[in-house]
Amino acid sequence: MTQSSAELTAMKDFARRMLSLDRRLIFLLIAVVTLLPLLYPFRLPIRVSPEVRKIYDYMESLPEGSVFLLSLDFDPSSKPELYPMSIALLRHAFRKNLKVVGMTLWITGTSMAESVVAGVAQESGKEKGKDYVFLGYGPGGANVIISMGQDLYATFPTDYYGAKTAELPMLKEVRTLRDIQYVISLSAGSPGVETWYVYGKEKYDFELGGGCTAVSAPGLYPLIDTGQINGLLGGLRGAAEYETLVGVAGKATAGMDAQSATHFLIIFLIVACNLFYFLTGQEGRRRG
Amino acid sequence: MSTEMLIGAWVATGLSLFMYSFLYKDNPFFKLGEHIYVGVSVGYGLVITYYEVMVKKLYVPMVQQGDWWLILPTLLGLLVLARFIPALAWLSRISFAFIVGIGSGIAIPRVISSLILQQVQGTLKPLVTVGDGGVSWFTFAGLNTLLILVGVVSVLFYFFFSIEHTGVVHRIARVGIYFLMVSFGAAFGYTVMARMSLLIGRFDELIQYASPDYGYATLVLLALVIAGLVLWERGRTSESDNG
Repeated sequence: MTQSSAELTAMKDFARRMLSLDRRLIFLLIAVVTLLPLLYPFRLPIRVSPEVRKIYDYMESLPEGSVFLLSLDFDPSSKPELYPMSIALLRHAFRKNLKVVGMTLWITGTSMAESVVAGVAQESGKEKGKDYVFLGYGPGGANVIISMGQDLYATFPTDYYGAKTAELPMLKEVRTLRDIQYVISLSAGSPGVETWYVYGKEKYDFELGGGCTAVSAPGLYPLIDTGQINGLLGGLRGAAEYETLVGVAGKATAGMDAQSATHFLIIFLIVACNLFYFLTGQEGRRRG
Repeated sequence: MSTEMLIGAWVATGLSLFMYSFLYKDNPFFKLGEHIYVGVSVGYGLVITYYEVMVKKLYVPMVQQGDWWLILPTLLGLLVLARFIPALAWLSRISFAFIVGIGSGIAIPRVISSLILQQVQGTLKPLVTVGDGGVSWFTFAGLNTLLILVGVVSVLFYFFFSIEHTGVVHRIARVGIYFLMVSFGAAFGYTVMARMSLLIGRFDELIQYASPDYGYATLVLLALVIAGLVLWERGRTSESDNG
């Protein structure tokens, strides 16, 4: 056997060993790479993408006292991605003295949605019923949106806390969705951003923005291109970008180092696995 | 810190660690966590639906505020349950007919307009425009428009099965495959990002619960789960040795 063929065999053996590596080692590696940046952050810069900036700019352009509706269409299973977004958006809205309407189309997310709206309102010194309302859950998904477009008081006769919506000072001038200047749906699926567009914006003519889990982001990008939504916060990255714009580093910003580190590791593993695969490729193909 | 918060933190930490123990291998801790999860999710869903819908949207308006017309949707809803009684199953068709009729009537025009026509319009943007300000020539944004157009047309060719994919059609369909591959890659990348975000969210809370404020919940429970897995493995090994 020549030296080069011996080297090739050794390389193939190594590649074969690597491809049959115990997958638990990879899990462990991912855990370590996720944990270390969370414990010792190295603060990589966060670049704001145009679709996130558009939402921020639109919020900035709203005059004081405008009505902003935040529909928290997710439940605790998507909390890591969408909860930081809702906090950043609410902080921005209260800082701008917008009138905030909170609600959800997801029944299992009701109490979490209430805690985030009430929590940020309290932190910002806002008064329930005067500066913000939380309408709670409305059953029916698309039907709730259509009904709100016709009569908000009939769709939600009382808010989450049992107060009559028609008598709340904040909702005095808000009878339908047409009286709302900006709606953002933070969604983990359906009903969510698409439902708000299809049954809400197109008919009742309000501006719509979206926030979603990273899994659903590729499906919503076409809506930005056509102007059907004016911006999109996609996944933890979108939340971190919005936190950067608002100037309050929260959970999303803290998680971005870990996100980047794990992505780097996954890219490395994909490239390495492909290399190992091609090194042993001839054998694999013969066996197959 | 309140006792409920402390108990909640210990339960959440324990269950997270039970679920992650599956990464080692299927084990009794994971099975216990899995069954608790299924039970709690169904129970939570039922309780919250009962309170948020049956009580707040039905009982209170109907009985306390006198909105007795709500009896009609209630009856329609109850008729769906007739499906479980074979002799009365036909009654459920009334409700289903109502749901399908209203649902289709509302959805079809809206979906066609929003998700088909407007998307087609977005695909066919002009590359060169003539307006009051003169002629606007092909720009960098126009390159995106061109890419979208080529992508949509070539992918549609790929999914056109009425003619054989040979010659020019084959070549265009081949371009469609490349666009599809890029799209699958982007979707996979976003999926990885989403899954990692969930892991980060969980780790973030586990780190928080490892602090003295929470009685070192993560560290104590991690040690207990590892010790439990070691004992379980030993038990399995001695069982297989004996028999």
